[in-house]
Amino acid sequence: MKSTDTKTDGGTDIDHDLFDSGSDVELARSEQLSNAFTEYVYAPVMILWDDWRARIGSLIILGYLLMGTIGVILVEPATLHEGPRLEGVFEGTEFLLGTDILGRDLFAMIVHATPAMLQMIIAGGVFTTVVATIIGTVSGYKGGVLDRVLMTVSDIALTIPGLPLVIVIVVIFPPQHPVTVGILLSINAWAGLARALRSEVLAVREESYVEASRTMNVPTRVILTKDIIPNLMPYIMVNFVGAARGVIFGSVGLYFLGILPFTTLNWGVILNMAYTQGGSLYTLETIHWFLAPMITIILLSYGLILFAQGMDRVFNPRIRARHVQDDAGTEDTEDDGQIQTTVTEQI
Amino acid sequence: MNYFIKRIGQSVFTIFAVVSISFGLIRLLPGGPAAQLRAQLIQDSAGAADMERVNRLVELHTNIQPSKPVWEQYVDYMVAVFQGDLGESLWHNEPVSAILGEALPWTVFLMGTSLFISFVIGIALGAVMAYYEGSNFDVSATSGIILLNSIPYYIAAVVLLYFLGYQMQVFPTGGHYGSGVEPSLSIGFFRSVLYHSVLPISSMVITSFGGTAIAMRGNAISVLGNDYLRVARLRGLRDRRITMEYVARNALLPMYTGLMMSIGMVFGGSVILEEIFTYPGVGYYMFQAIGSRDYPVLMGSLILITTAIVIGILIADLTYGKIDPRVRGEDREVY
Amino acid sequence: MTEKHETNVAADGGTVQESMAGGTSINEVDDSILSLRDVSVTFGMERGKSKVLNSVSLDIERQEILGVVGESGSGKSMFASALLDAVVKPGVVSGDITYRPGEGSETDLLNLSDEELRQLRWEEISMVFQGAMSSFNPTKDIRGHFEETLKDHDYDVESGMAHARELLSDLYLEPERVLNSYPHELSGGMSQRTLIALSLVLEPEVLVMDEPTAALDLLMQRSILALLEDLQTKYDLTIVFITHDLPLVAGLADRLAVMYAFEFVEIGPADELVQHSAHPYTRSLLRAVPNLDSPLDQMHPIEGASPDPVNVPTGCSYHPRCSLATDECRSTDPPLEEVEVDHRTACFHWQESRQEIPLIDDEETGEHDSDTPIRTAAPTDTVVEMQDVDVHFEQSSGFFGFLGESDIVHAVDDVNLDIHENDVVALVGESGCGKTTLGKAAIGIQRPTSGEVSYRGQDIWEAKDSPDSTDIPFDEIRQSLQIIHQDPGSSLNPNRTIESTLEMALKYGPHDMKKTSRRNRIHGMLSYVGMNPSEDYASRYPHQLSGGEKQRVALVRALMMNPDLILADESVSALDVSLRIEMMDLMLELQEQFDTSYVFISHNLSNARYFAGLADGKIGVMYLGELVEIGPAQAVIENPKHPYTEVLKWSTEDLNVEEELENPPIRGIDIPDPVDPPSGCRFHTRCPYAREACVTQSPSISEDENEHGAACFRDRGEDHEYWDSDPIQGVEASDD
Ligand code: SF4
Ligand code: SF4
Repeated sequence: MKSTDTKTDGGTDIDHDLFDSGSDVELARSEQLSNAFTEYVYAPVMILWDDWRARIGSLIILGYLLMGTIGVILVEPATLHEGPRLEGVFEGTEFLLGTDILGRDLFAMIVHATPAMLQMIIAGGVFTTVVATIIGTVSGYKGGVLDRVLMTVSDIALTIPGLPLVIVIVVIFPPQHPVTVGILLSINAWAGLARALRSEVLAVREESYVEASRTMNVPTRVILTKDIIPNLMPYIMVNFVGAARGVIFGSVGLYFLGILPFTTLNWGVILNMAYTQGGSLYTLETIHWFLAPMITIILLSYGLILFAQGMDRVFNPRIRARHVQDDAGTEDTEDDGQIQTTVTEQI
Repeated sequence: MNYFIKRIGQSVFTIFAVVSISFGLIRLLPGGPAAQLRAQLIQDSAGAADMERVNRLVELHTNIQPSKPVWEQYVDYMVAVFQGDLGESLWHNEPVSAILGEALPWTVFLMGTSLFISFVIGIALGAVMAYYEGSNFDVSATSGIILLNSIPYYIAAVVLLYFLGYQMQVFPTGGHYGSGVEPSLSIGFFRSVLYHSVLPISSMVITSFGGTAIAMRGNAISVLGNDYLRVARLRGLRDRRITMEYVARNALLPMYTGLMMSIGMVFGGSVILEEIFTYPGVGYYMFQAIGSRDYPVLMGSLILITTAIVIGILIADLTYGKIDPRVRGEDREVY
Repeated sequence: MTEKHETNVAADGGTVQESMAGGTSINEVDDSILSLRDVSVTFGMERGKSKVLNSVSLDIERQEILGVVGESGSGKSMFASALLDAVVKPGVVSGDITYRPGEGSETDLLNLSDEELRQLRWEEISMVFQGAMSSFNPTKDIRGHFEETLKDHDYDVESGMAHARELLSDLYLEPERVLNSYPHELSGGMSQRTLIALSLVLEPEVLVMDEPTAALDLLMQRSILALLEDLQTKYDLTIVFITHDLPLVAGLADRLAVMYAFEFVEIGPADELVQHSAHPYTRSLLRAVPNLDSPLDQMHPIEGASPDPVNVPTGCSYHPRCSLATDECRSTDPPLEEVEVDHRTACFHWQESRQEIPLIDDEETGEHDSDTPIRTAAPTDTVVEMQDVDVHFEQSSGFFGFLGESDIVHAVDDVNLDIHENDVVALVGESGCGKTTLGKAAIGIQRPTSGEVSYRGQDIWEAKDSPDSTDIPFDEIRQSLQIIHQDPGSSLNPNRTIESTLEMALKYGPHDMKKTSRRNRIHGMLSYVGMNPSEDYASRYPHQLSGGEKQRVALVRALMMNPDLILADESVSALDVSLRIEMMDLMLELQEQFDTSYVFISHNLSNARYFAGLADGKIGVMYLGELVEIGPAQAVIENPKHPYTEVLKWSTEDLNVEEELENPPIRGIDIPDPVDPPSGCRFHTRCPYAREACVTQSPSISEDENEHGAACFRDRGEDHEYWDSDPIQGVEASDD
């Protein structure tokens, strides 16, 4: 196995080319780029595509993204009395999802509520994950008094009921912009994630490879970003989605009950109108008015859950390696290997 | 012992923090309730403002005396709240504690029952799914659960209300007991209470048991893969013992933590749920207070709901040490 | 797996039975308690059927101790499970297993009803696994485990518990304390012994032990084995002891059976098998054992790896690794043939094998003349100097910190140690003795509570705390002191490729390299350590490497920093025996290339001797946070001065079948609590020579002219008061 002949010329100078490989392994810039593309874009996409849940989830989310960007351009905003009052679903070709009591196109309303909704979701998700990641990693990695203080704060934030607190704040300071709404709604959503991340960091920081990096004098910043945070990605992604769902549920609920000011169109606002103006509860005639936004919400939430489950796989190096290699045309023995390990474990 | 003191201390501290936040929101922030109330009162008295009277009224309602320095206001407020004085409702002209004290048992009943039922169903389903891991039943149950989990509870509430309440009129659409029934220890009263709680509880349970089931499934599967289970079989223990004392016990323990987390979620949700079903619990009053800008009630509800959650979690946490020997006396994390 | 192969085996089974001497069947013993005939375990897998136990036939004698030896993945655990018909699904057992209890009729083990099987298990045949910790229900106390076992087998609980207490004290445990504990409250050695007691509580006839001691310290392993022998005689047990560690069972077992590739390749009486083994595989196994008494250059790793169950080589399954393989071996599967009475082996060329593959013991009997180190170090500069180093840890409890009383763990107490250039210092001791903490203090990643650690004369922590007033900047010190960890599984970041892990070392190391030359260096180093093709390895993720390969990458990573000192923390312990020597050789080879020193931490005295011996280094022995003996490797091994070193030496596997397992030269099996270490000499609670003086005074190390010294009063002159004081209670008076 060992090449003993190299030893004969063994000087003690280690900057000697003894250990430099003869072959030219320099890669062309384009090749490097394509490698990076494979590792960071192609492989994750392929992994997602591999799993039916993730595939459906991504498609659903993509649909909503398109709706919130291109859809807004393609579909004209709803105007009063553009159609008959309370037309049902698929009754005409013009208003696919029917119209409301003022003759507005429900489909157009839903489409035009999407951008604000997306802004809100992303704001809430980003706020939660960023705050939680910072607090969780700092607390776990630094330890000491700072850790105690941060975790006590997290515990309190975790205990205070989110919705009532948000309601109180919202009543006192009505938020206007969707981004503010998103952040307000996730005001204490970070706490649970921060705690989970902290215990994960505590475990990871004891791993030998982190200690090895410390021993190599790798800066803390690099250790955190390269050695520690990648291990947290599954948590972060799953919780990003969790936070996003929280924002959807919370905002729609609060708009629905009319607690949040109707500054922007929102699916919850449509629900509210159907509930209060349409009397959806009492007659079948207006049921579509209520169902349309409802299904919109449920579908997005469904897509997000499926997507989160798929993301779990993207961050698993075992699965990722297989895809990068597949692409390079290397023989794929991983599947066999895994089965074999499970069997040999039993032997 | 140490552990108990620590946990109780932490709980008190949490309530303390919430009360402080509530004080901050009421008093300190410009345009906050105290200021608004004051402006309102001055306006009401139409120019002939008697500042002293206004201040007295403000204090009566919010426990805050605008003329005193901030720290004194803070101390007064804290003392008052911890003595159970949450101020006086602007709308009902009654002490907040009286209104909410009446409402709290209903919220606890509604949410406690929902939580309990949802956990029982979730655990049973999860255990069955784990037992038949990988089967068609498992796969379809998982998909079904994901779908149910995607439905916000208030939408489930509205849908149930629509079909079972208004359309078919099987269940009442609001209230906590029938109008003709007198609160007493009679069967009729209990019947009526249960009857009125079916829809709110169902909407909560339907949308939340899935999470428990998935968690339970995961726990049970990992327990089934443990060495001690294999050894127990090799030891020739009876199946009944293995199922109850090995699988069930060890799979259930981690669920306890999930229960603690759910307490907060469920109680928080009571605001929306009670409003939809016009169920006169704390959440309902809180909601009413929003419309009428009844800040004392609003703040009181926040403090009360938090206290209920903190106590719930505390009980769960302290009993956890009783059932899991591994945490006894150790410095365990709360969640 | 070909059909042909299978039929071969079946046919051979037949021929063996007939060809046995004197027409006796394969039954080489008359009074067998268990007999297996053509027992196979198969798993159906996507790639085809895999036989993880291949038509095994064997008799187990009543009241014998049978040692079953094999590498991991040789099918030995399947053999154990088959004995209790406990093969995990979807595995299928076929063949015949007959159980003959002392009284009563024969039982066909594989055709029992569920209830019969349930009763047979533990009442007749019980089993002990590796990893006792995970064998107990974490939420049930130990008493509960004993009681439920008795109840479910309808035994009388009261007398059963009395028996349990007796068993526990037989195993040097305090019965009441153990019974009242929960599993997580017991140490590894304690829970393993508790499990043994639990396995005997129903007074079974047969005890099957599957690697029962693998996770424990050598000393604990040996002590348990000694106890096991006592138990076997006391309770008339039949023991099947399954292990990968041949020397461990050699002294204990009456007979040995060697498994390779899911079959037995050699079976025979223990001493016969060790001294005159016939099968090439057994002989290589014996050669690969680092033996304290054998010369250093005579240890040879076995090349190659054991086969995959789906792809067993045709003919003799050992032929790809066998130096004697012929065409016959490649096509025909050798049957188990009698070599001598009771000694059978499955090899066509066993006669040659005895000549071609010499055992060390055959040639040189204990002569150590070839035992010269590969180099002798000239006196050189000190790289790291440690003075009066203490490391204490606080085990705090309580939320606010001040509420809980905190316990101080004395991980390292008052240690002095110098490490020179190109030096090797091996630290040995049981787990929890503070050797890792001391090592980490030496390379400056563990701040000492008091004392001084300096690098080339510069106090490391001073350099860190006040960077302005130092001669050597902390960054430089940091890079000069590197580490290789114990667990190959966690030593590399699972999310990064090997290349990017190694690149990190070059990027933040002392080099100023362009990306291209970094790549060249990485690939060059990888192929130097035998990981070819390097491009392939560089692009892999850690989970795609074997344990040995991961450790080589960790070594490369450490070396890339151009360090002056590398802490190798048990870095070969997790590897298979045959790979250990290879890894140690590589480390030493690279030491010369890179001009570095090692602190080599091991719980295994023979690994320490191999490593330190070859480099002419030192061995330091640690006990409860203190350095109790230090000196040149050879001197410490051959002439230990501290009683504890003698104990360690006793515990180190020796291929000694002649002598019976003696009781350890130590009192008490468990290490005292480091929170509250014993007064005086910390070893006095276990030392067989302890006297009153040892209880009150603590000895310190004084080195002789060879820099060999021990912290023991017996190392002092005749006039030391030790010699006049009385032996402490529990120690037999002796005047040696
Ligand atoms: S049969 Fe042949 S290949 Fe097998 S061990 Fe013997 S000599 Fe080696
Ligand atoms: S000093 Fe005493 S107790 Fe310590 S090792 Fe020597 S003889 Fe034993």
